[in-house]
Formats: sequence, C-alpha cells, structure tokens
Amino acid sequence: MAEPALALVQASPPPARAQIAFDNVALTLGGKAIIDTISLEVSAGEILCVVGASGCGKTTALRLAAGLYQPTGGSVRFEGEPMRAPRREIAVVFQDYGKALLPWRTAAGNISLALETIGMPAAQREARITELLAKVGLAGHAAKYPTEMSGGMQQRLQIARCLAQDPKVLLMDEPFGALDAMTRQGLQDEMLALVAATGATVVFVTHDLEEAIYLGDRVVGLLPHPGRVGLELTVDLPRPRDQLATREHPEFLRLRRALFDFIKASE
Amino acid sequence: MRWSVLGWRLASFAVAAGVIALWQFAADHRWISPVFLPGPDRAWASLMRGFTSGDLLAKLVGTLTHMAYGWLLASIAGIALGAMIGSSKTMRLYVAPTLELLRPLPVSAIIPVAIAALGLSQGMALAVIAFGSLWPLLLGTIHGFAAVEPRLYEVARVLHMPRLAVIFKIALPSAAPDILAGMRLSLTVALILAVVCEMLAGLDGLGQWVLLSARAFRSADLFAGVMLLGVIGYVTALAMSAAESRLLRWQAARR
Ligand SMILES: Nc1ncnc2c1ncn2[C@@H]1O[C@H](COP(=O)(O)OP(=O)(O)OP(=O)(O)O)[C@@H](O)[C@H]1O
Ligand SMILES: [Mg+2]
Repeated sequence: MAEPALALVQASPPPARAQIAFDNVALTLGGKAIIDTISLEVSAGEILCVVGASGCGKTTALRLAAGLYQPTGGSVRFEGEPMRAPRREIAVVFQDYGKALLPWRTAAGNISLALETIGMPAAQREARITELLAKVGLAGHAAKYPTEMSGGMQQRLQIARCLAQDPKVLLMDEPFGALDAMTRQGLQDEMLALVAATGATVVFVTHDLEEAIYLGDRVVGLLPHPGRVGLELTVDLPRPRDQLATREHPEFLRLRRALFDFIKASE
Repeated sequence: MRWSVLGWRLASFAVAAGVIALWQFAADHRWISPVFLPGPDRAWASLMRGFTSGDLLAKLVGTLTHMAYGWLLASIAGIALGAMIGSSKTMRLYVAPTLELLRPLPVSAIIPVAIAALGLSQGMALAVIAFGSLWPLLLGTIHGFAAVEPRLYEVARVLHMPRLAVIFKIALPSAAPDILAGMRLSLTVALILAVVCEMLAGLDGLGQWVLLSARAFRSADLFAGVMLLGVIGYVTALAMSAAESRLLRWQAARR
C-alpha cells in the first residue's frame, strides 16, 4: 500500500539545489553517439573539474552545459529550467583564446563588447573596464591589441570579458592548456582567487590530472566511446590551495593515483 | 628603417624624373614625329591651357563623377550581396556556380548589351561601370564573410548579441580587409570603364577628350588628358590605401 506514495515522491521535480543538472543526457552528432549518457549535478559555488582521455567528449559535455548544443536525449537544466539556448549567466572561456577575441578591438574594446551587449550605458563602461582589467592583472594594457599580448595575457583578457557578463557560472575548456607551466600555475591561483571573490560556479575541463585536483571541489572522469561518467571523486583538501603544500598533501597524492589509474584503464 | 623608406622614395622620384627627361630628349630630337609625340613641355602647356579655359576641368569632373557613381553603386550592391551570400553556406552553394560562370566574362562583352538596352546614355555608363567593378568587390566580400571565425559567432551567442550587432560588430569588421581589398581593385576597374564608356557614348569626360584630341591630331591635348587619367588613378589609389591603413590599424599590430 506504500508503493503509490513512493512513486509520487519520485516523480516530483529534483531539488532546486543543483544549479546545473544533466539528467540522462545523450547526444548523437552525425549518426554517432558522442555522449550516452551523463547524469550529473553541479551545485552553486562549486568547482567541478572534468578529466578524461582525448576525444572522450569533455568539450561536447561543456557545450551542452553552455546551451551551444541541445541534447538528443534527456535534459540539461539550469536552476531547474531546461536550457534551450545559451544564457548570459553562463560564460564560456574557450581554449583557443586567439580565436575567441576580436583582433580588431583592443583589450578595452574586447571587454566593452560584453558590456555593450548587456546594455551598460557608455558613461559607466570605462570605469568597469579598468576595474576588470585590474582584476585579471592587465592594468595598463587597455590599449593593446590581442596580437600584441602573450598567450597568458590573452587568456586573462578572455576571462575578464567573461567576468564582464557578471556570470553565475564559468564554463572553462582547457583554458590554460596552451600555456607554459609557470604561467599556468599563476593563472590557476588567480582564477581561484577570482572565483572565491565572486562565488561563481565553475566547470573546468582539463587534460592535466593534477590541475583538476588542485582546482576542484570534485573531479569527474569521463569514459570514451560514447562519453559517460566513469569516476567521481570528492577533493577534500583545505582552501585556499597552495602550489607547494597542496600538491604535497597525502590526500592529493592519493587522488592523483586514483585518477591516473582511471585514465590508464580507460584508454 | 625610416632612412630606407626615404631612400626608396628618392629612387622612385629619380626614375620618374629620368623618364620625363628621356621623353623631353626624344621629343626634342624628333625620334618620333611631334604629331604623335609632344614633349612634356608642350603637354604641360596644354594641360595648363585646358584648365584655365575650364574645358579640361569639366572633363575631369565628368570622369570623376562617372567613376564615383559607378564605384559607389558597386560598393553598396557588392557589400550587401556579398554579406548575404557569404554568411550563409546554403546561399554559397546555390550561387557559387553562377558566379563562377559570370566572373570570367569580360565586361567589354556586356557593353553592347548595355548599349542596346539603355542607349548611349549616362544610365548605360553607370550600369557598365557598376557591373564591371562589382566583381572584385562581391567576391572579396563573400570571401570575407565566409571566413569569419566561427568561434566569434559562439561568443556572440553566449552574450545574446542581437543580429544587427553581430553583423556590425563581428562579421563586418572581420571581413573588412577583404572588402577593402576588393574596393581597391574595383576602383581601377571603374576608372577604365568610365573612360571606355565616355569614348563609346560620347559622354562628357576625359575619355571623350582623349579620343577627340587623337582624331584631330592634337597630340599635346591628348597627352594632357592621359596624364590627368594617370593622376586620377594614382591619387585615388593613394586615398584608398590611406583609408585602408586607417581602418585596419589593428592589422599593423600583427606584424
Ligand atoms: N560536430 C561533431 N560531429 C561529429 N563528431 C563530433 C563532433 N564534435 C565532436 N565529435 C566527436 O566527438 C568525440 C568527442 O569530442 P570532444 O571534442 O568532446 O572530445 P574532448 O574530450 O574534448 O577531446 P580533447 O581532449 O581532445 O579536447 C570525438 O570523438 C569527436 O571526434
Ligand atoms: Mg576538447
């Protein structure tokens, strides 16, 4: 006699706690199942890192979360609502920063693009641009064109433009993948500080297992052909993280081992 | 760097001066009959005379007007059409074969058609000049719009940019180098066709002046007209380059 009541409870919508929810998401592109299936929840303020072998569907999953792809099965929801198109609350940091910036606009102009689009009055833009550039460590480079900047500076600029959207969520696709180790570590810490200050949710795709553990509250490992979740790890490391102490922490080493074994087995 | 630029300038002036000196020398020694080849002194005098009497000035304005109207019409049509065709893959697939068929057609071949349809009129000249100078512009614009980085369209989608903003803030500036290169090529075509149309239809302009001078064996006037045409070509190309480097300042940063 208790069964109908249980069925009712199960049919009620999932708790609104999850900011982004993948519910049995599947995606077929050109007749090929790229993702089948992913169920995953990301809560507000969380940093979720996604790792997996090359071609396992990390970028595709991120594009689904951005609303740039529509799932062919299941649903992607943002704050309970189905994602039908990209939203301004969700900013995307692309890996290929060189392609994502407007080469004919200066650093200030590139940030202005986002401000113009969200309808900020021209009089307020300049102050906001200065503030954002300072935030990402580009103060004094406002008049430079992207081609006059190093890779690290260009990626900082892209992040600043994303912050100009005032996003609740940052989706980042291997944002530091093309940078050298030193620049990369610097940017990791800057990003963590920015995120801590804004409280934004982050979904961070990376090839680098250590980077995933260093940044994340949780790490999800995807399996290939078709893409699906193969591993979920909670990262119980103290914040703020530290490039030396965190990476030497026994828990860090344990997680690294687990991820390494996972990737090895999945290949 | 600066010095080598200056050096090249000086060298090119020296070449020009050398050519004029040779020309004068040839005319003075009558290598070619003065009926056909006036010296630079006589051509210059004729140029001055033409300007003071106001005749030549009217012809100059005539040619500039024909050229400008035709070129502007081609620019507007070329950019609008090119933007439409270039930004849609299906449009490109449908239209490309037709364009490939029409492009190699020499414009001179359509002049009789235009004359038959519009008579020996200003309208005919406008149509011919616009049609002829449309091609480099149209093809440049199509290429420019087709080559916009798809990532930038995704940036626009994520920001919810309105359609018009996407065209004016992303597609157009991205295609600008190709469009401007097309406009520069069109300018030359427009000048050539303006002269041809003036000759054929007897429209007021340097083409007509040159043709009539040649028929009357007024070689000095003929050369004055040709010199002016050269100046138009040179000055408009210079103005176009200046506009290009101003509009494409960001590309200078790349080098
Ligand atoms: N538009 C598409 N049409 C068909 N197949 C696609 C398309 N985009 C991606 N794929 C395929 O989907 C799979 C996953 O691609 P995806 O780019 O998501 O992988 P990834 O995990 O991001 O790889 P990498 O680590 O190399 O960036 C790949 O096998 C790829 O070939
Ligand atoms: Mg990828």
